[in-house]
Amino acid sequence: MAQSGTEAAFEELVRRHQQRVFALVSGLLRRQEDVEDVAQQVFLKVYLSLRKFDQRAAFSTWLYRITVNECWDYLRKKKVRPLVYESDLSLEQISKLDAFASSGRPPEAPNQRAETKQILERMLEKLPEQDRQLLVLKEVEGFSVQELANILHLNVNTVKVRLFRARGRIMESYRRRLGSSGAGVGVERKV
Amino acid sequence: METDFSDPACPEYEALLEDYLDGELGGADAKKTGAHLESCAGCRRAFDDAAASVRLLRVAGSLLDSAPAPSPAFARMVMSRIRNEEERAAVGAGLWQPFVSLAWRFAATATLALAVLLTYAVAGFRRPPAEIAVLNPAEMQDIFSPDPTRAPADRDEVLMMVGESGHASH
Repeated sequence: MAQSGTEAAFEELVRRHQQRVFALVSGLLRRQEDVEDVAQQVFLKVYLSLRKFDQRAAFSTWLYRITVNECWDYLRKKKVRPLVYESDLSLEQISKLDAFASSGRPPEAPNQRAETKQILERMLEKLPEQDRQLLVLKEVEGFSVQELANILHLNVNTVKVRLFRARGRIMESYRRRLGSSGAGVGVERKV
Repeated sequence: METDFSDPACPEYEALLEDYLDGELGGADAKKTGAHLESCAGCRRAFDDAAASVRLLRVAGSLLDSAPAPSPAFARMVMSRIRNEEERAAVGAGLWQPFVSLAWRFAATATLALAVLLTYAVAGFRRPPAEIAVLNPAEMQDIFSPDPTRAPADRDEVLMMVGESGHASH
């Protein structure tokens, strides 16, 4: 029905998939303020390309692939560079983060939440882009491994291996900072 | 606690360990992976790191800005943008249509002319080359000039040779 161009049907498609598209765009870009604009661009492109959809894959898979391509085009056009902070995370900041991560519970006080959030954002920024995107999409935005494989044109096993290695890299970086402070490792290994 | 990075995880277990972490592994695979973790220090360290990352990112998930929710009017804004785009395309096509038709006509004419030229050139190329008479230098020899390779037979020939060389020098 949507492929015959009826606007009402397409509007319904937009409503059904808009949240997921927002989540994917948000996970891939680093600027929340551009999410809505890029998401609009995605659906515009989908509408204009409906004739090319051959229905071999699920519509959502096709939609998410267009979303990823639009995000990459956006990042290329904007020439987004990694955020450069004036200084690295301080040892005190890492220790605070460690305390919350060990407990598995985020801080409750608003000022502590704001500070911890800032620390986490800076820590994620230091990861290679692909690691950051995979971890954020999986752990923050809730995409499944299968969805990530479909979206990123990867084999499911490849996604699992990349996720596993990205986890190792973030912890390696985290422990290096903790270790250099002489502080104990709060996020302990549990055997 | 010392951090030992010398033993990486076994490559053949990385995907299984990710599933094990997610609780997605069952049956024989779960047993096999559990047994392997008990015997392999590298995989055990990597798995512990991965589990720690889950806790860390869980805190992140609750604090980081997850995706903004689409506004209630988002879908209508998308449709409005689609309509604008379609109208723009229709107007653009109308304005440029006469020029596009003219351009196509020029292109067709130019292609035809090129085809004619090429045909002519190929046909011309295939014609056998005209026979060009090549004069043998020996045949050009002045009938009055004696054969330079032959010694003059008489005085007249000597005089003629002297005359020839005089002509050449002038």
